[in-house]
Amino acid sequence: MKNKLMHLSNETMNVGFVKKVEALSGSSVRRCFQCGKCSAGCPMSTFMEHPPNRIVRLLQLGQGQRVLAGRSIWYCASCETCTTRCPNKVDLAAIMDALRKLSWDADGPSKESYVQLANRLFIENIRTYGRQYELRLGAIFNMKSGQFLKDLMLGPKLLSKGKLKMFHSKNRNIGDIEGIFKRIEEMRKKGEAL
Amino acid sequence: MTPGKKKLSYSYYPGCSLHASGREYDISTRALFKALNVGLKEVPDWFCCGATPAHNVDELLSLSLCAKNLSLADQVEGDLAVACAACFSRLKTTQHHLKEDETKRKQVEYAIDGPASLNKPVKHILEILAREYGLAKLEESVKKPLMGLKVAAYYGCLLTRPPEVPELDDCEDPSIMEDILRALGAEPVKWSHRMECCGANFTLSRPGVVLKLSNAILESARLAGADCIMVACPLCHGNLDIRQKEIKEAYGAPDSTLFGSIFGSDLPLSTTSEDRRDLPIFYITQLAALAMGVASQSLGFESVIIDPKPLLRDKQLL
Repeated sequence: MKNKLMHLSNETMNVGFVKKVEALSGSSVRRCFQCGKCSAGCPMSTFMEHPPNRIVRLLQLGQGQRVLAGRSIWYCASCETCTTRCPNKVDLAAIMDALRKLSWDADGPSKESYVQLANRLFIENIRTYGRQYELRLGAIFNMKSGQFLKDLMLGPKLLSKGKLKMFHSKNRNIGDIEGIFKRIEEMRKKGEAL
Repeated sequence: MTPGKKKLSYSYYPGCSLHASGREYDISTRALFKALNVGLKEVPDWFCCGATPAHNVDELLSLSLCAKNLSLADQVEGDLAVACAACFSRLKTTQHHLKEDETKRKQVEYAIDGPASLNKPVKHILEILAREYGLAKLEESVKKPLMGLKVAAYYGCLLTRPPEVPELDDCEDPSIMEDILRALGAEPVKWSHRMECCGANFTLSRPGVVLKLSNAILESARLAGADCIMVACPLCHGNLDIRQKEIKEAYGAPDSTLFGSIFGSDLPLSTTSEDRRDLPIFYITQLAALAMGVASQSLGFESVIIDPKPLLRDKQLL
């Protein structure tokens, strides 16, 4: 995919997708003039098949599917170095967030479902408990990702150090927290929020 | 304190990590504030700010979770003190975005079923110590200067980036941690990786990424001659402390790498395996409280993986 010749036409360019990314992120992709500072500073670019500046270039060319099909967006660590250093105020970290949301909504073609799974469990934990229940997060992640032995030796050690708690109680205001989730879902259903 | 001046007092948002994996950060923050006679009152019923996973896939949810927590914080008097760099970044980001974007503010206000409170100043522990309590007074309050302790001050990502959000220090060349360390009598080292990412929350989903990035940070600190690293973020602490032994196993034998086999172990880019010493990772509040004469038993040293006590004994700080 990386080196495949790209034919640009009305059929291969999805401008609607790019507009969605711009609306969600509040940042223009058109301002980028490809200086490459974002990729030079990115701590994760070695793990990505498209470094950050190329992600923006692909978006400029309407290649949303190419971006979503790759793993780059799931290897972004949200360190904000790119946003900090962009001379044209392209908020690349926010664009990455927008791309992940669009992939998430479509239950994406992403190969990097581990990161998606971790995010989903983390957010579920908030909805169920209010505060993070780290032991449950780790245990369910391992179960659902099929990595039963991952960090197996670490768990008991952290429990004995008091860094993981065996039991965890729900917040008293868990009803208010559920309300936030419900009202966001409702706004989206009515088309009042992206 | 000048006569008649009001005692400093803060509301406090600890965040989830400080109640579990980063408990020693919470313990030492409370101990330090008590020693400095600064008030600290926990926000009732606070809940998770959403951290990186929430904004990663759902910005509106992230903003709403933070806005609700900010309105809970309004019930407690005093500016909001935050210790965790991720919570700090999310709460500041929420205030910044919602002040600028009215559409988003209205959506968030609908989601939290109430007005978004955007005016309570959110302050990181570092700025409370350096600016509000003040470096001069901090230096005066030191009972046991951290003489001879060479510290690599590690900022990570979220304390300074992006520049218009945290308003803590320069986004490329901050000095607030080093300033505090000097006030405590310690010796900050100059090093290359103080603002590089540790891999953050990939510790759950992609630990291999964390091992690679955190190894570079540890190596850079060792090469600069640091005895230890100081952090202000529970995720950075987790990656550098909890995973340090694993990192050593993964990268412990430099001679077996390609570079090692070609150039030998005198390659200046990495330390030799004998030299690959354990680096204790301290929270800023642990070092500051130690310097204020707080007993080491109340700083949560028993919770960390890389035992800092041998180093502290060696420097006659215990």
